Amino acid sequence: MSERAEISIWFFCGILMLGYGIVLIATGLTEIHHPPPTVLAELQPTLWWGVVLAIFGGFYTVRFRPGKS
Amino acid sequence: MHLLASLAVMMEGRQLTKLAPVDVLILVLYFALVVFIGFYAKGKSNTSEDFFLAGREMTAWIAGLSFVSANLGSLELMGWAGAAYQYGILAAHWYWIGAIPAMLFLGIVMMPFYYISKTHSVPGYLQLRFGEGARALSAVSFALMTILMSGVNMYAMALVMKTVLGWNITFSIWVGAGTVALYVMLGGLRSAIINEVLQFVLIWAGAAMIPILGLIEAGGWTKLKAQMAVNLGSTDYTHMWSTLGSFKDNPMGVHWTGIVFGLGFVISFGYWTTDFLVVQRVLSANNLRAAKLAPVIGAAFKMAVPLIVIVPGLLALSVLKNADGSIMHLVPESMAASTGQHSYNEVLPLMLIRYCGPGLLGLGITALIAGFMSGMAGNVSAFSTVWTYDLYGAFINKKASDKHYVAMGRWSTVIGMLVSIATAYLVMGAASIMDYVQELFSFFIAPLFGTVILGMLWKRATKKGGFWGLLAGTASSVGMWLMVSHNPANIRFMILQLHADPDTIMRVQAMAANLYRALWSWVVCVLVTVVVSLFTNATPISELSGLVYGATPIPDDGSKGLFQKPIFWACVVITVFFIVNLIFW
Repeated sequence: MSERAEISIWFFCGILMLGYGIVLIATGLTEIHHPPPTVLAELQPTLWWGVVLAIFGGFYTVRFRPGKS
Repeated sequence: MHLLASLAVMMEGRQLTKLAPVDVLILVLYFALVVFIGFYAKGKSNTSEDFFLAGREMTAWIAGLSFVSANLGSLELMGWAGAAYQYGILAAHWYWIGAIPAMLFLGIVMMPFYYISKTHSVPGYLQLRFGEGARALSAVSFALMTILMSGVNMYAMALVMKTVLGWNITFSIWVGAGTVALYVMLGGLRSAIINEVLQFVLIWAGAAMIPILGLIEAGGWTKLKAQMAVNLGSTDYTHMWSTLGSFKDNPMGVHWTGIVFGLGFVISFGYWTTDFLVVQRVLSANNLRAAKLAPVIGAAFKMAVPLIVIVPGLLALSVLKNADGSIMHLVPESMAASTGQHSYNEVLPLMLIRYCGPGLLGLGITALIAGFMSGMAGNVSAFSTVWTYDLYGAFINKKASDKHYVAMGRWSTVIGMLVSIATAYLVMGAASIMDYVQELFSFFIAPLFGTVILGMLWKRATKKGGFWGLLAGTASSVGMWLMVSHNPANIRFMILQLHADPDTIMRVQAMAANLYRALWSWVVCVLVTVVVSLFTNATPISELSGLVYGATPIPDDGSKGLFQKPIFWACVVITVFFIVNLIFW
């Protein structure tokens, strides 16, 4: 959607990724002592990917929040 | 119903995993946001321009991401990951030579004509250039193709749910279709575009962990290639061009002429420049520069997609193992149903489960569903536009109010979705999802490209030439398909190998046959168009303004400076394209 829209498309992307990032970080923290039975679980991929998504999503959520000109 | 019953039995005990509560939370968050976007966009979709073309107010980035995302359905993700497992890195040709040059050509050469003619659809352009006959033929074939494609996408998603979670295939189809129908019916193209951009981001978020962790496990690209060579007894699976000198030298059974001319020229240019599903996204751009730049941006992202689609398929050839530690062998869909093995099309979910625990698994599954939604929404929104403008509005009810056409657009979305659902059940009988899609492409898209490109670049092409060329090209494509269906050995006429041995004939059946059928149907279309045009009266130049190269002053796109020029970025993308092809030669 164009910049004239009330809610930017990028805000939708940001808020979803931020939400997912937070969920993954929380899940990843619980898996530190109880890793899932997946290959390379010892690398904590859930936690680290959650951090990446939270940073990406957080940036877009703030940068394109509704009402920001 | 017998087939459905068989599948239902097969699903029992074949469930790969189940969702944890956190996975369900991720899935629910996605569906909630998608439905919210549908209601949000409804308030902005009151006129036909709003509903069918999103008000023509999208920026280049949004139109570009939507352009590439509309093509990135579950079908893409699963089908091409399976094709990479089956044929090796050759499958990446469908992302590079099979997409990039055509996308750049659309942006730089063709978009100005689509944009300044102010057409609302590709059949609409054909009506302006070649009259009602060409429009009707194109609109009917397009509507048919989008409905079939939509059904294929539904089936692909249902397969994911069946394979991974053991969900009932009918349940998956109806829930997915219902959600897409709701948000497209409410918000039209605007809603579809918002969701497509969202889905593009989500697909990367959900699928990127597979190649990252896979390459870590394999020990890097070099070690992966070495391991594949040991497992397969051949290095052919990791070369894109060096094995294409003969039909016999590569896993796909294709010759470089088929890849370059059939795929790289006819199918690719046909799809990316005349398939209204993708062109509609670019028509929503807010100015000419954005319309030219959007396909260039889309091409840049398209070039990166093999990382999340092709690489997982290749990784599976090396790292995917049975419980006893032996290499797992995937088989065609038809064989999987009888032997209980996993099929090629299941490679992506298998890799997902290998690396992704709770949370990441939910994200990956959501990404696959998002990909499915993207493909479905793209098809159904394009169908509703072509039905309303080019069939209903052109031939059934020409003088209705704008409000009436918007209502028709909403209703045709729902009805189109119902027909797609019926199609999904038909598709279950096909041996390979991708082969099926290729057949559709070559029936309609290749001849259409011949008609559109001649219409845009050749002033002498006449209305009768355009119509008869399109009809002859489509008929020849269907005819060739029937000819090979009747007797597979007839394919030797299409590949110009009259004395081809049975082995070659068998190898070229699946993928290569479609490339050559597209190529020949395009040639037939062009020849008939040229001959008929030369025997009919030329169209006056005054009628071609805004439609044809040489009869149209192209307006300045408003670029200021080198970095704003679409042609500059197109040069950057094509340079990278050549480099990656050389790297994987």
